[in-house]
Amino acid sequence: MSTQNLENFSFKKYAWNQFKKDKVALVCLYLLFLLIVIAVFAPVIANDRPLYAEYKGYTLYPAFSDESRTDSIFTSDGKLDEILQYDITDWRTLDFKKVIWAPIPYSPESMDRYNRDYVSPAGKQRFKNKNGEITDAPKKFRHLLGTDGIGRDLASGLIHGTRISLMVGLVSMGIASLIGIFLGALAGFFGDNKLKMPRIKYHFTLIGLFFGLFYGFGHRKYALADGFSEGILSGMTELVISIGVLVLSMTIFRLISRLIKFKKLQEETFVPIDTFVSRGIELLNSIPRLLLIITITAVVERSIWIVMVIIGITSWTGIARFTRAELLRIRSLEFVQAAQSLGFSSARTIFKHALPNALAPVFVSIAFGIASAILIESGLSFLGIGVPDDIVTWGSLLNLGRQNLEAWWLIIYPGMAIFLTITIYNMIAEASRDALDPRLKS
Amino acid sequence: MLKYTLQRILTFIPMLIAISLLSFVISINAPGDPVERLAKSAESEGSAQEQSGASKKIKQELRKKLGLDLPIFYLSISDLSSSDTLYRVQDKYHKSTLEHLTHKSGNWQLVSDYYLELLNLQKIHLTLNSKEIYNSQQTLDLNTINEAVNQVGFEINSLLETSEDELMELALNKIENNLYEYSFFNPLISSFDNVKTFNKNLLTSDSKWKTYIPKINWYGSQNQYHLWLFGNGKDRKGLLRGDFGISYIDSQPISTKIWQKIGISFSLSLISIFIAYLISIPIGIYSAYRKDSAVDKGFSLILFILYSMPSFFVGTLLLLQFANPDNLAWFPVSGIQDPTLFDPEWSFWTKIKHRMPFLILPIITYTYGSFAFLSRIMRVGMIDIVSQDYIRTARAKGLAEGKVILKHALRNSLLPVITVFAAIFPAAIGGSIIIEVIFSIPGMGVEVYNSILNYDYPMIITVFTISGFLTMLGYLVSDLLYAVVDPRISYK
Repeated sequence: MSTQNLENFSFKKYAWNQFKKDKVALVCLYLLFLLIVIAVFAPVIANDRPLYAEYKGYTLYPAFSDESRTDSIFTSDGKLDEILQYDITDWRTLDFKKVIWAPIPYSPESMDRYNRDYVSPAGKQRFKNKNGEITDAPKKFRHLLGTDGIGRDLASGLIHGTRISLMVGLVSMGIASLIGIFLGALAGFFGDNKLKMPRIKYHFTLIGLFFGLFYGFGHRKYALADGFSEGILSGMTELVISIGVLVLSMTIFRLISRLIKFKKLQEETFVPIDTFVSRGIELLNSIPRLLLIITITAVVERSIWIVMVIIGITSWTGIARFTRAELLRIRSLEFVQAAQSLGFSSARTIFKHALPNALAPVFVSIAFGIASAILIESGLSFLGIGVPDDIVTWGSLLNLGRQNLEAWWLIIYPGMAIFLTITIYNMIAEASRDALDPRLKS
Repeated sequence: MLKYTLQRILTFIPMLIAISLLSFVISINAPGDPVERLAKSAESEGSAQEQSGASKKIKQELRKKLGLDLPIFYLSISDLSSSDTLYRVQDKYHKSTLEHLTHKSGNWQLVSDYYLELLNLQKIHLTLNSKEIYNSQQTLDLNTINEAVNQVGFEINSLLETSEDELMELALNKIENNLYEYSFFNPLISSFDNVKTFNKNLLTSDSKWKTYIPKINWYGSQNQYHLWLFGNGKDRKGLLRGDFGISYIDSQPISTKIWQKIGISFSLSLISIFIAYLISIPIGIYSAYRKDSAVDKGFSLILFILYSMPSFFVGTLLLLQFANPDNLAWFPVSGIQDPTLFDPEWSFWTKIKHRMPFLILPIITYTYGSFAFLSRIMRVGMIDIVSQDYIRTARAKGLAEGKVILKHALRNSLLPVITVFAAIFPAAIGGSIIIEVIFSIPGMGVEVYNSILNYDYPMIITVFTISGFLTMLGYLVSDLLYAVVDPRISYK
């Protein structure tokens, strides 16, 4: 390596160069981008409303409009000709002047009543044309990967399922990372004997916590429940207010504690934060994870978002353990000690100086975590637990295949989709582990 | 060693308490009223009219038996306005209404007056009999009377279950309209006026401030958690002594149900783990020994792919390929025996022989996941060990290669593999839900699955608690095994 290179040496560049050497992982990374593109553009790739249509002199963009939209079509002399209700119109039977269909002209939930009862990809598929005759499906309107028992298009279900799978990985691991990194950083940085505070402050913080929980969550119980029953946004607002109350209460009590000036109470005491976190991790790890998730989903409402949240709050332990281990190592390094001796606050030292240097191995654990979150969600959908029946996911499609073994396409394609996605994430995780920390290379 | 064991067991206890608390919290948050569920499963025949009286009594007894008339925990934190006798209210929905009303008004006394008067109103209303009214009046037809009586009943019920201002007002107005329209409602009027004034008092109460002052209530050992865990020394023995409650589905004791099903799940997981060890240890050793050879790379890739294959996909694929008349119908699709052929009198071996074809696909599915995982751990552990100094020493002093690997390296590389052993016990009780569902094996997994579909919470919670206990027991055992396998770990 020349001096020129050394000057510009950055760990990120080095790790990326190492990562690029693994060709399989690089391909996986491109495939992941492809999956993300599919997920983002799912409504354009698979939609039973045309992307662009010229109809009776009107130019419409049905796929990009809201489902509940209604258009009134007038004839040239101003009389009402037809009312197009976007959600119930059968667009395939309309006589367009010019039309551009989505590559897969079916929506995941729409049922094609001419192709019910598990129509195979290669088999005979029926189609109702503009004149109302039932014919063989033209190439454009064939169900490329077949249909299920009620005539839903499999290809479309897979495309939209990509969205849900990636969302599950993103949301649940987002939650898990927030909890895991935060708790792991506190436990690793302070350990059991580094966080000192006057005894009075310690106890007053606990009292503040009690009152914060009482006013923020106990007293606002009904406000929170009402907020969440109204919608996710207002629920979140209420939750933020509650957390604000909690923080405020703790701050107030900590301030009060400064006013009390008994010498005995001002003695320093250790906060065993590492013990708390480690015990929490041990506890959560000692419960079989799938069983825990299933048990919680059994008592709450069925919703894909709740499933994501539950997966998130039960899978932070791995991330917390990695963060803790890294920070235990980093906290004794010179640059952290320099930051401390400069008088920076603990929060600044942790989150600005120590943590950014600890995230590399944590990233690997998050990537593996995404793979396992997707696995859990598809397992739950496969069992029909937690995820509502009307949402089409890869797991629920595979379950339809299990119940009807003749429909092999409902087993192979969704199964392969799950398998490939999990493999992609695992491959990327492995390769980045090797790239970020060559010592761990196996 | 003894000291370490004792110490380990001591840390075990708070964790057990934590798990029991966690599952208890989940169980009391389960939706629906257990008494209604149980009463429904116990009810058999008889018309609705006949039953209402009898079932009320049954329900009351059930509530008492389940301990639902007790406070939930040893202590509770509430505010100054709330009542410490609210737990005596029987109906779950009434309870939450009262709680909300107290929170709104800040005065339990007013809420309690309102509630008792409402109950009184309901009681008077129940004495009304449309037929008698019809016979005594003759001016109105039976349908109108019936409708009016039913509507008032319905509105009283909805008053008991709502705490929204507008809904309460709406219900009160509806009752009032009916009351003044028909003279046969006269006996209700005085009580209804009371309800109305109490309701008004409630809404205009000025003791809202009371809800801002926290209060801690202490109930002692007469509470639901204590009863659930330790029993009461009489009819309930408590979780710790093996009384897990009764199932909502068929009112059978949960412990009986578990004993019936656990055998098959336990044997499946034991066999599969055994096979997985049998295959993965040699593969791990071989790939580590011939590291970076073509064979190792091939194994690694295959194991990686297997590791990423979801077990439900593999299971369904196996069914599709080998238990499908369209492809190869080598194995039966579901169950563990053919009910038309199976004879419980058979000897042990005949039974095994009969069940074999049923079990092959599940065992393959069960095995492959842990086998891929184990082989990968084994390989990494082995590579680590083989590069150690003492192995080089062993080689340098001229030991045969086989002896070096199998005698010196193997023992130490087994360490991480032992951990997985801890998972056998909980896997048996939780069953591998997915695999048992795919192959319709009548074990714990299917039992748990069915209880989830039927909202049989006692079953779910029991399985959850026991698997938590067993996993921790597994960790304890594997920690102790570590110490046996690796003498360097001395645990002080």
